[in-house]
Amino acid sequence: MKINKDFAEIITQIRYDNLESRSHSREVVHWEEDHRLRSGTAKAIVFILPTKGCSWALSNSGGCSICGYLYDNPQHPDFEKIVKSVRGALKGKIQKDEKYSIKLFTSGSFLDKKEVPTEFQIAILKEIAIYNQVEEIVIESRPEYISSNNIDILSKVININKLEIAIGLESSNNEILRNSINKGFYWEDFEKAVKTSINAGARVKAYLLFKPPFVSEYDSTEDVLRSILKIVEIGVDTVSINSISIHRGTYLSDLFEKNHYRPPWLWSLFHLCKEIKTQFPKLRVICDIVAGGTKRGAHNCGSCDKNLLYIIKEFTLTQDVNILNQEIQCSCQKEWKSYLIHEKLSITDL
Amino acid sequence: MRFFQPLSQIGLSRLLGETRTHHPITPGLISIERTTEKEGYSGFFDLPFPPSFQKKREDTEVLIWNLLNEKIDKSLAKGFFLSEQPFYPSYVPDSLSLDDFSKYIDKFQSLEEAHTQIFTLPLSYVDSPLLDKIIETDCSLYILTGIIALFNNQRKLTETFVKLRERLPPDVAIYLPGPISPAYYSFLVYSGIDLFDNSIAYYTSKNGYFLTSDGAFSVENHPPCYCKYCISSEPDLFKHNEMILKNAIGRIQYAIKSGTLRSLVEQDIHGSVAFAASLRIYDNNYSTNIRSRTPVISSAPLKCIGEESFSHPSVIEFRERVKERYTPDPLTKIILLLPCSARKPYSFSRSHMLFRKAIKDGDKKLLNHISELIITSPLSIVPRELENIFPARFYDIPVTGQWSSHEIDETRLILLEILKRYPKETIILNHTHGDGYSQITKSIEETTDFEIINTSSSSHPTSKNSLSNLSSTLREISLKETNTNEKPLAPQTKQIRATADFQYGPGIGKLLFPNTIKFKGKYPRDRQIFSEKQQIATLHKSTGFLSIFPQHAQKIIHHSYNNLKFMDDYVKGSNIYAPGCSEADNRIHPNDEIFVIANNKIIASATAFVSGLDMNKMTSGKLAEIKKKVRN
Repeated sequence: MKINKDFAEIITQIRYDNLESRSHSREVVHWEEDHRLRSGTAKAIVFILPTKGCSWALSNSGGCSICGYLYDNPQHPDFEKIVKSVRGALKGKIQKDEKYSIKLFTSGSFLDKKEVPTEFQIAILKEIAIYNQVEEIVIESRPEYISSNNIDILSKVININKLEIAIGLESSNNEILRNSINKGFYWEDFEKAVKTSINAGARVKAYLLFKPPFVSEYDSTEDVLRSILKIVEIGVDTVSINSISIHRGTYLSDLFEKNHYRPPWLWSLFHLCKEIKTQFPKLRVICDIVAGGTKRGAHNCGSCDKNLLYIIKEFTLTQDVNILNQEIQCSCQKEWKSYLIHEKLSITDL
Repeated sequence: MRFFQPLSQIGLSRLLGETRTHHPITPGLISIERTTEKEGYSGFFDLPFPPSFQKKREDTEVLIWNLLNEKIDKSLAKGFFLSEQPFYPSYVPDSLSLDDFSKYIDKFQSLEEAHTQIFTLPLSYVDSPLLDKIIETDCSLYILTGIIALFNNQRKLTETFVKLRERLPPDVAIYLPGPISPAYYSFLVYSGIDLFDNSIAYYTSKNGYFLTSDGAFSVENHPPCYCKYCISSEPDLFKHNEMILKNAIGRIQYAIKSGTLRSLVEQDIHGSVAFAASLRIYDNNYSTNIRSRTPVISSAPLKCIGEESFSHPSVIEFRERVKERYTPDPLTKIILLLPCSARKPYSFSRSHMLFRKAIKDGDKKLLNHISELIITSPLSIVPRELENIFPARFYDIPVTGQWSSHEIDETRLILLEILKRYPKETIILNHTHGDGYSQITKSIEETTDFEIINTSSSSHPTSKNSLSNLSSTLREISLKETNTNEKPLAPQTKQIRATADFQYGPGIGKLLFPNTIKFKGKYPRDRQIFSEKQQIATLHKSTGFLSIFPQHAQKIIHHSYNNLKFMDDYVKGSNIYAPGCSEADNRIHPNDEIFVIANNKIIASATAFVSGLDMNKMTSGKLAEIKKKVRN
């Protein structure tokens, strides 16, 4: 079993209690943002496809302890409409002399046939394949849906070298995957999926979760570094450090509301980016901080948050480590250090 | 071999030192980051920070002790490692599953050099039998987590602390991490916590709080402070707060060394309702656990100011020992009940000198037939023979003359118990005055057959009227007295015997000190006790207690409560170490004079470092220091 039964039970209960109140938005949400391609800065168009949601979150194991994206997904998706919306949006957004990355996010797995039927996977990709300006197509998937068969189907529609499969590995430590995230798969599954993708010609982006529940910020920093060493070794060339933001209706949210959890410090993320980029200059390090500077996202003391968020964003876009080498001072740095050591020593509620 | 060695013990608290150099470390403060200013800190954390690819926590000590530079090589270790931690941190209450905990225990057990490893003990596993696996190792430092959640549950809190101390050996230190107000330190040390950290200095300084020994105040409005950090043109709040923490710990270290920790705690808990309640629960429910670890031999001043003092462990121990061990001279004819005096020992006070004079005026010959019992709060009854020992000679109370019903009750019960040991025809002279005293004597009158004569009922005991009353009453009794052939014990012999009983167990005095003993050396010198031209004991003026020479103690071997069984029949060196001890009497208190026994023979006398209960739990380190060996 790749789950901790007791833990999964608690999460399933929370999921069950919150699912009833889920909203039914069936619109395709999309926006344009600055993005870093392997070749340089570019634009990205992000689509949030309203599928029925992540199969793992809907399963009777309850899904991940930290994820509440499911609550935004409708119960009955309308794929015809989705394809139409994507077509319309691309037409309106894509400019002639610009490079693009298209991100197709479902809050689940794009490659899961039960979530996105194969015909619609093809239909959506076909819409994108029209545009030569698109250099990169990013889809997300759990490793169990990544098979050479599934990728082959896509390769008939698009240039597979443009495809980037983002996998939410979160951590390379199976204990953390099992006991604090309830991820449902282990490092070994990820490893296999990466091999399959790379052999098929696609690229892989790994998501690493910074500061899952039950892991102190100090330990999580060490864990991210350890995970980096492992993923680099198996040929992953892009890593996205995902700092926790607390979604409502999740196990983590309950912990947070009981004052047993503090979202990470921006200092830690700043340090991580610098440490990783210095050690692995060729690795693309992405750190998009969701809800940064707020109570439910990564934050510092309040006075230096904006500055740090800006610097980290600049770094993500330019991949220039020099941006991180500048001296930044704030009185909360000392508090950050004491907090981390303190939390590391297993301190009670802070 | 564990890293720590208890250097002294008071109740659940101890003074721990490094085991080889005896450099004192706890109670102490740990800096959570590396610091150059060692003063006031017992050690500091040196975790690689922030974590990076290069620096690995696994290969370096993370907790470095501040040891003496010149002795650092002699020490057992320089610092401790944090190699394993349980997967779930404590901030999630009750979430560490048994499965994860036992995994943690297993991993921890496989670590090498256990004495330098830090064990994290989640509150929910204090009771777990799995903990025994760690206790078996040499692990010397436990991080206790989750206890702060109990600060509002006094019953559970005290129960946990007592349980911990009962389970853990005395040479294991407990570290309570986290922001804890220095105002609570004394109570927590009294509860058995050994180490704190300075994290509260970071929190308070960042959030604009100004620490004082009484707690935190806002930085805009706080009691003035004239320390060098505050009067400087650029006041340094962090340094000031840090200094408050260091001072708070220093004050406690001093209190343990001087034996006044309990008084300090009584003083401090008045700032916190919660801990005031906790102390009462200790006294009501766990008195024996604490008492058996509290020194009997002491010369520390004992201030009995609050209600808590009535159940001060030393006070209760005194009452219990008087109740159980005091035996009056069987030739006693008169019991004289006297009030206490502010000056100690009582005999040195003006009032007691007047009493003495009145007795002599009455009938000199009766002097040795009188057994004087001093009625006092909170000790209840102090026989004259025991007025020189701790705490009788060292306590002080605010005198109002008003007695609480609880005090009256307790005193009455003890008095009744002692009276049983006197001949039935003994006459009680009650030379006390006041409502509290009279309630006690009245109840004695009602429940016993003793004849009670009040000699001070109409006026104060030191008034001319009362004193002459006492003299004339004694004269009257003396006239009736017919049998004057029996020779009662001299006061000095009575004192020695009572002290020996109090110190070593009932009956010891009579066995060891015949009527014929001789004394040399007068107060204030130590008194030497001779029997058949050989010195058999010394009565120390500083404490009022005895040291018995081991070569003369053989006859009390089966009666003494203070015996330690030794593995070998010869003690090498000047200390008794844990591996050499096969069994220590559980009735041994720290600081006690004990006998080292091998093959049913006393081979030495020694001074105990810790209680007998705790000696039996130690696997390494000093248990006692040899005072005298028997020469063969």
